Amino acid sequence: MREQLRTLRLAAWLGWQLETNWASPWLFAIYMVIKPVTGSLMLVCMFYAARATFAGGPPEGFQQFLPYLYVSNACFGLVGTVTFGLSYAVVTDRERYRMLKYVFLSPAHFQTYFAGRGLARVAEGTVGAVLNIAVGLLLFADMRQTMGDAGIDWLWLAVFLGIGVVMLWAAGMVLAGACLNLSRNGMFLSEGISGVVYLLSGVVFPIGVLPPWVQWVGLSLPTTYWLEGMRRALMGPGPASAPVLRGPLAAWSNAELATMLLATTAALVVFALWFWRWNERRAWRLGKLEENAGV
Amino acid sequence: MSAIHLFVAAALARSYARVAWLFRSRVWMVQETVLPVLAVSAFAYSYKAMAAPPEYTGLVVLGATMTTFWLNVLWGMGAALYWERDSGNLELFVMSPAPMMGVLTGMALGGMTTTTVRATVIAVAGVLLFDVAIQPTSWPLLGLIFLLTLSALYGLGMMFASVFLRWGREAWHLVNLLQEPIYLLTGTNFPVAAIFPTAVAAAATLIPLTAGMDAMRQVLFRTPGIFDVWVEVALLAVLSVVFLVTARWLLARLERRAREEGKLTVRWQ
Repeated sequence: MREQLRTLRLAAWLGWQLETNWASPWLFAIYMVIKPVTGSLMLVCMFYAARATFAGGPPEGFQQFLPYLYVSNACFGLVGTVTFGLSYAVVTDRERYRMLKYVFLSPAHFQTYFAGRGLARVAEGTVGAVLNIAVGLLLFADMRQTMGDAGIDWLWLAVFLGIGVVMLWAAGMVLAGACLNLSRNGMFLSEGISGVVYLLSGVVFPIGVLPPWVQWVGLSLPTTYWLEGMRRALMGPGPASAPVLRGPLAAWSNAELATMLLATTAALVVFALWFWRWNERRAWRLGKLEENAGV
Repeated sequence: MSAIHLFVAAALARSYARVAWLFRSRVWMVQETVLPVLAVSAFAYSYKAMAAPPEYTGLVVLGATMTTFWLNVLWGMGAALYWERDSGNLELFVMSPAPMMGVLTGMALGGMTTTTVRATVIAVAGVLLFDVAIQPTSWPLLGLIFLLTLSALYGLGMMFASVFLRWGREAWHLVNLLQEPIYLLTGTNFPVAAIFPTAVAAAATLIPLTAGMDAMRQVLFRTPGIFDVWVEVALLAVLSVVFLVTARWLLARLERRAREEGKLTVRWQ
């Protein structure tokens, strides 16, 4: 157990160093802020562009779209950072640094090593999301009003964030496991999954807008429940003045959301543990751990 | 072999590698088109949820199509020499008699070809899925704007290729940093003129993607633009020349610096 914790700690440290020591602290801080904030600002500009098309002024409740878009996108940053980051760790360690086989050969537990690398990405993603939301609160009165009126529910925020981090780590380990056996297309698998989640989990629009049969696909994704839970924890439930923002999960209580998230996360964790082990053995048998595809 | 012969041979050789890859890696092709279509769908549904007019879906489809080119300029041109250095090919290029501008030109032509195929698939998928009306005021004008935009974009990409050669590990992060901020400044999913102050929008037109997309929107969807279409056409032509000339100057200068500092063969920095 102590050895596993040491591997976890050192792998997290290594992951953090790889992510941060390419630049001075100031440049890195700017990078951490600019990327997520400009992504959110692009959605804000879409909101203002749509609002400007209403000749007689936007309908009641339209202003609620801005906090919805902003907070959802900020939280989604964590999804991309963790799931994409774990796959990227496998690919870079194998292709760029050519260290994957040495990590496998070392006494460090292979899966724990990548769990540690994932922790570094969680830290990076969380800091990015917090900064993003802080900038949103600073710039937009609608954000301040919505989050101020409802108040942040810190208890539910801790619950959803805690379960969500485990869920994202498990999803990342599934993708990273697949990357062990995918020489060239591993990164695109991660980007593809990220794209599907972006479309179907209600990041930039409520999933109620989708055709009913597609909504069911969205409701099968744990990230849908996680994003709904995070929005509620940060902004409160969807307002009655904006019925389009109240999707199929509007009638669910926080406890029901958390239970569903916990159940899907537990299933995902079990699958991730098995799937990683299967991929690790397969990659070892087929010599994929030291294969270099020049990607 | 004359200098022109060498230039053309190098350009064709370098572009062949990229075009041949397109046909050998069909899985990659599918992924490179499916992922942007997912993004198009997300933004299109976002506008639909906000009850925006139908032409805004057209903006999103156009933005996704042109974003494909921007990503190719960044990763396929800008970071290309950096990756060639990592894989050990850069020193071979420099040692060979092929002019580096010929190599970059080949990268640009190959990149344009493969990206045009991908962009066409994305555009067609977006138009069909979301029933976008395509009725440009003039097809030849649209074609001219598109070609000038590509010329300016890939000229900028050649500049990036030289500049990124100076960087080490930070190159990947800095190329990454040129995605979202550029999407915001160039208005890939929204009309820049309607949101930004005039001075900011005018400054943003120095990025070829802004001027190109703005001009194409005026022709395709008859939306008001930052400048008149013909002003933007002239701007794109000027930017093309400026970027290509600057790329040539930068390449010579920075290659010299890289030789002096021993950075042509440094890997995994």
